This record gives sequence, structure tokens and C-alpha cells, in this order.
Amino acid sequence: MDEPDPIHRWSITLSRAMGSLGEEIAVLVAGQLNYRIVRQELINMAARQSGHPEVALAEIDDLGLLNISPGPQVTRAYQHALAQLMLAEAEHGGCIIIGRAGQVILRTSPTTLHLRVTAPFDLRVERIAERMGIAHAAAQERVKATDHNRQYYVRRYYHSHWDDPNQYDLVLNTARLGTRQAADMIGAALRARVR
Amino acid sequence: MSLPEKTHPQFSHPVEEEFARILDYYGIEWEYEPRTFPLQWDEQGNVTEAFTPDFYFPQQELYVELTTLRPSLTTHKNRKLRRMQELYPDIHVKLFKRREMRNLMVKYGLQQAAARIQGTDAQENS
Repeated sequence: MDEPDPIHRWSITLSRAMGSLGEEIAVLVAGQLNYRIVRQELINMAARQSGHPEVALAEIDDLGLLNISPGPQVTRAYQHALAQLMLAEAEHGGCIIIGRAGQVILRTSPTTLHLRVTAPFDLRVERIAERMGIAHAAAQERVKATDHNRQYYVRRYYHSHWDDPNQYDLVLNTARLGTRQAADMIGAALRARVR
Repeated sequence: MSLPEKTHPQFSHPVEEEFARILDYYGIEWEYEPRTFPLQWDEQGNVTEAFTPDFYFPQQELYVELTTLRPSLTTHKNRKLRRMQELYPDIHVKLFKRREMRNLMVKYGLQQAAARIQGTDAQENS
């Protein structure tokens, strides 16, 4: 019987800025490596397990449209459940965990590659305006709000800086790098680490 | 307009429709009024009072009730929610109040959705 590919014992965390094409890259990498993408289901499961399912809505709502503000106790229970679930996913391997401060929660995991995908602010705004068919000013507000919320999340709950390159094994700027090139680089970096 | 167009059921209030469109924007799976919970019965066992939460989110296993009522008018709804909790402790119901939803939608380029919010301050109790 063939030995299982050791690459499937590894996992990837991917932190992305809005409009950086991070999610598109994650899909390509998952396809290349036969990894599964872990995203919203982690939030839903953690919220259910903590006994406060509404926290999932607060977490998904990065524009603040739903106005949900869970208290500190509820948030702590949710964060604890989230970390446990993420550790279990990473231990199982073969997955790309998007967002949720995975690079911090799994920083000591020896079989996890930490990625950051970014691009200049103006370019990200341009991409969002085009993709969503909205005015430049509205796209600017969306990108600003999402950046702020994601930065705040990592700083508040993990006392860490979202854009600190020291947290990542690889930081990719998609200003001049295509999604396919970025995915290939990630695959190569992972294979180099596994060897 | 970036909110996905999707066939919606007949909502009883415009706010519910806007809420559904926000859920669609975030990709949150939802059902509209899928279940009614009996709250009181008469001596013959007939249901005399019931509660039908507006939305159910299967992935979160959460029911949501919307209100745009002024705080002074919410007593009846709050009482129903308390009764729900007594009778069905394993069912999670969250009460949502509409605040500044329209301003936020305009700010983030969701103008058409914002325009559909009628600007009513009070919703009939459901």
C-alpha cells in the first residue's frame, strides 16, 4: 500500500486583506494540494459549542450591519471553543484555515504554514468596486471597515498585530503577482517545509 | 448593487426583507418562519398562544426575532421570549433591534437595499 503523502499531515493558515485575492488563492491552493478550506463552519461550530450561537453572526458581520455586540464572558467562551476546534483541524491536517487569527492560535504548531496575502489599499479598493459593482467611495469604506475590524480582532483577542510579517512564513503582495503564481509559490513553500 | 438577487418568501414587513438581503450578502443560510412554538394551552389542550420567530439559521441553530418597536412597546414580545425560554430551554432565540441599518447600508454601497427600508419606526407586533 502507498504511504500517504506527508503534505496531508500539514495545514495552512491564511490571513488576507479584503480585495487582496486571498480567498481566490486559497481555492487554487486547496485544489492543487487536495486540501479542504475551513472558513465559516469553524465560526458556526465554535459559537454553537460555546452555547451562544449569535456570536457567529457577530463574527461574520464584518461591516457591522447587524449590530451585535456579545459581552466579554460570551466572547471568551467563543474564543476558547474556536481555538480548540482550530487545533483539532490543524492536527487532522490537509486544510487551509482562513482568518480567525489562525497564525496566532497555531503559531507553535510544527506542521502549519502561515501565510499572509495583501496588496496596496488603492488597488484593493479598485478590485472591490469592480467586483461588487459599487462606487469607489463605498468600496473604500468597505475595505477600511473590514481592515479595521480584522486588525482590531487580532489585537484585542490575541494582543498581536495583524500585519506583523514575523507571524508568517510567507507574505505575498498580489499587486503584480497573479493568483496562479501565488498559489504555485505557496505549494512550493509548503513542499520545501515538509521535506 | 451587490446584494445577490434571490427568490424570497412573502415577508410580513419590509425590514424582514432587508434583513434577509443582508444575510444573503454574508452568505448566511436562513429560513423564514419555519416553526411555531405553542406557549399556552386551554383546559382542552388547544393552543391559545404561540410564538413564531421570524428567521431560523440552521448552521448556527439559532432563531431570530426582529423588532423595530420602541422599547416601551416591547413588553409583550419580551414576555413571549421569556416564556419560550422556560418551555424550550434548548432553543436559542435572539431578539434583534433595527438601528442605523439604513445609514450603514448607504455607507457601504448597498443603496438599493437601503432605499427599500421604509423608514417606519414601529413594526406591528408579530
